[in-house]
Amino acid sequence: VTAGFAEVHDDLRAVARDILSGTTPAAAGGASPVLIPTRRLADTGWLGLEVPEALGGAGATLAEAAIILQEMGRAVSVSTYLGSAVLGVGALNLVEPGPGRDNLLRNVATGTVGLAVVMPASDDALDAPEAMTLERSAEVWRLHGAVDLVPDAGEADHLLIVARAPEGGSVLVDLTPSQPDIEVEPRPVVDASRRLAAVTAGGVAVRDTSVLRFAGEADAGARRVVERGALAVACDSLGLAEAMLDATVSYVRGRHQFGRPVGSFQAVKHACADMLVHISVARRLVGSAVDAVAAGDPDAWVAVSRAKSYTCEAAVEIAGKAMQLHGGIGYTWDSGIHVYLKRAVLNRSLFGSPGAHRKRLGARFG
Amino acid sequence: VTATTAQLDAFRVRVRRWCDDYVPQDWRAAQTGVPDEDFVRFQKDWFQQLRRAGFAVPHWPQEWGGGMSVPEQMVLYQELAAHDAPRLVLAFVAIHHAASTLLAAGTEQQKRRHLPAILDGEIWAQGFSEPDAGSDLASLKTTARREGNHYVVNGQKLWASGAAHADWCLLLARTDPLAPKRHGISYFLMDMRTPGIDVRPIRNANGESHFCEIFLDDVAVPAGDMVGAENAGWQVAQSTLSAERGMTMLELAERLRHAGFKWLVQTCVTPAASGKRPIDDPVVRDRLAAFETEISGLAGMCGDLVERHEAGLAGPADASIAKLYYSELLQRVMDFGAGVAGAAAHTVLEKPLSSGWESGAWILDFVGSWEWTIPGGTSEIQRTIIGERGLGLPREPATGA
Repeated sequence: VTAGFAEVHDDLRAVARDILSGTTPAAAGGASPVLIPTRRLADTGWLGLEVPEALGGAGATLAEAAIILQEMGRAVSVSTYLGSAVLGVGALNLVEPGPGRDNLLRNVATGTVGLAVVMPASDDALDAPEAMTLERSAEVWRLHGAVDLVPDAGEADHLLIVARAPEGGSVLVDLTPSQPDIEVEPRPVVDASRRLAAVTAGGVAVRDTSVLRFAGEADAGARRVVERGALAVACDSLGLAEAMLDATVSYVRGRHQFGRPVGSFQAVKHACADMLVHISVARRLVGSAVDAVAAGDPDAWVAVSRAKSYTCEAAVEIAGKAMQLHGGIGYTWDSGIHVYLKRAVLNRSLFGSPGAHRKRLGARFG
Repeated sequence: VTATTAQLDAFRVRVRRWCDDYVPQDWRAAQTGVPDEDFVRFQKDWFQQLRRAGFAVPHWPQEWGGGMSVPEQMVLYQELAAHDAPRLVLAFVAIHHAASTLLAAGTEQQKRRHLPAILDGEIWAQGFSEPDAGSDLASLKTTARREGNHYVVNGQKLWASGAAHADWCLLLARTDPLAPKRHGISYFLMDMRTPGIDVRPIRNANGESHFCEIFLDDVAVPAGDMVGAENAGWQVAQSTLSAERGMTMLELAERLRHAGFKWLVQTCVTPAASGKRPIDDPVVRDRLAAFETEISGLAGMCGDLVERHEAGLAGPADASIAKLYYSELLQRVMDFGAGVAGAAAHTVLEKPLSSGWESGAWILDFVGSWEWTIPGGTSEIQRTIIGERGLGLPREPATGA
C-alpha cells in the first residue's frame, strides 16, 4: 500500500465514521438499529465503489469497500450495502460483461436498483454455493430450489441467484422478485440490524439473457462470491468489536465503585487489554485477507477462512465481555449492547461457521 | 533506504543460498545433551559465521557494522527461521539490549570500547531484577555509592540470563537512596571480572541453568562506566527495553510459524502404535487450523510492529500486545503439542541447546514456555501496560509505602 492509498483510505474511513456515527442506536437516542435509506447510501457514493468507472462507479476494490463494511459494523448499520454493493456488485464483476450486467451495475451505483445474491449463508455455502438448479426443458430455462436466510433479498429489485447449470458449473441467474413462481419471504431474526429472507423458485421461467456466466472457471467464480460474503462479515465483526471495546473503555473509566473507577481494577483492565489484543490480531488477519482478495490471489480463500473464523469468533467474545463489563446496565435493552452481541453472533454463522472454515484450512495438513 | 521489491527478492535469494551453505546440518542432534562449553563454542562460532555474512547485527547503524534496511531484516529473520538456523542465544543481550543502550545513551568512548568488542564475541548479561524487585523493578535495592572515581556496588541480582559466560553486565543500582524510587537509580556497565562478583547459576523448571544470581560485594565500577546521568538510569532503561522488541518478536513469531508449526503438524500426522493418526480426529484438525490462523496473525502483527516502530508510528502498548500474544499463544501451542504427542513424549528428556521453543521436545518446550509468560514483564504486567498506556484506563491507586 502506497502512502497515497493509505491517505485515501484514512479519508474514506473518517467520512464513513462521521456519516454513520449519527445512525448508531445510541446516537439515535434508542436501543434499536437505525435504517439508512438506499437513497442516502447512493449519495455517499458507496454503492458504486466497486462498480467500474465506465459504468458510473468509482472503480475501487474490496480494499475500499472493506472500510465501509467495517464502519457499518462499528455503527451496527441497517442498510442494503452488503446485499447490493458488496455481494451483488462483487458477483456481477465476476461474470462476463454484457448489456444486462452492465445495466445492473450502472443502476446499483445510482441506487435505483437494489440487488441480493441468493446463495446459502450457512456452512453449505462453502461446499456448494449453488442451492438452486437450472434446467432446460422444451427450449425454456427453468429454475428450481430454495435458499433460506439471504441478506437483503426482501429489499432487492433483482435477485442474482447462484445456480447449478445443466452442463455443470455455476451460473448467476438474474430474476426479479415479481416474476411468477418466485417467492421471497422475510425471515425476521433476533438481530434486528440484519434483514434476511427466504427465496423459493418453483420452476420459474428464465430468459437466455438472464443467465450470466462467470468469467473464467465457473465454480471458482461462485466460490469467490461466497468468500466475499465471508470476508464482508468478518470486516463487519471487526468494526463492531472495535465499537464494543471503545464503549467499554469509556464506560469503565467513568463508572465508580468502591471509591474508584472500575477500570482501575485489574480484573476489568486486563479484560479490556485482552479485547485489544484480539482486535489487533483480527485486524491483521482481515487486512491480509482483504489484500489477497483485492489482488485476485487464487489462494485468497486461505486468508479469508483465517480472517472469518478468528474475527467472527473474537467479536462474539468481545461483545459478550462488553456486556459483562457494563454490569447490570449492559444487560438492559436501552444500553444497546445487545444489538452488537446479536449481530456478532449472527455474523459468526453467516457464510460459514468458524468450524467450517477451519475444516477447509485443516484439509491442507495431510 | 527503501529497497524495491526486486531488490528484496534478490536479497531473499542471497540469504537462502547462504542458509543452504552455512546453516549447520543436524545441529539440533549435535547440540542435544552437550556440555556447557560446547554450547558456548557453538554459539560463538555461529555468531562469527553470521557476522562474516553481515547478518549478526543487521539492526545496528552502518558505521558500527549494521545498516540493513528494516524490510531486509524482516526477510533475513524469515529466512533464518525457515531454514531452522540456530538462534543467537548467548549474544542476545549484547546485540540487543547492550547495543541499543549504548547507541541511545552511551558516550562516544563507551560505544568505541564496547560495540566492536561485541562483534568480536564479548558476551553481556542483564543485571536488573532482584529478589525483591521483579515486576516492581523500580523498588530495586542494590546500591552504588560514589567513592572518588568509582562507584562501590553492593547487592544481589537475579535472573541474569547467561551471566555465567558474560564478560560485561548491564546494571541498575540505586545511587540516591532518599529519592523517590524511580528517581534514584543509575545505569552502569559492569566488567564481570571485577573483584567482588560472585555468579551462581539457578536451575530453572526444566533443570537448565542459564539464569544466574549475581552477588555484588563492594564491587568497584569506574565512574566512566555509567550510562547517562547519575540518577537517570530508570529513563535510560525504559527507553531501551522495548527498542529491540519488534524485531525480536518478529524473529520468534517466524520461528513459531516455521519450525514450531512444522513440528506440530508432524506430531499430528504421525500414526500412534494403533496406526491411528491424531489428525484424523476432527477436533485435532480444527485446533491445528486455529493455531495456524493465530500464528499467521501473530507474524503479521509483528511485521506491522516493526514497520510502525521504524516509521515512528508505534503505539505505546504495541510491543506489549505482541509480547503478550506471542507468550500465551506459544504456551497454548506447546500445551496442545504435548497433549497430542501423549505419554510417549515424556520420554524425551533433553532438548537441543541453541533452539527456541520449537525443538520438538514437547514437554520441555511446554514447561519452558513459562519463560515467556513470566520474564520480560509478566503477562499480568503486560495487560496492565496495555490497559493503561494502550487504552488510557486509570492506574490502580498506590498502596502502602
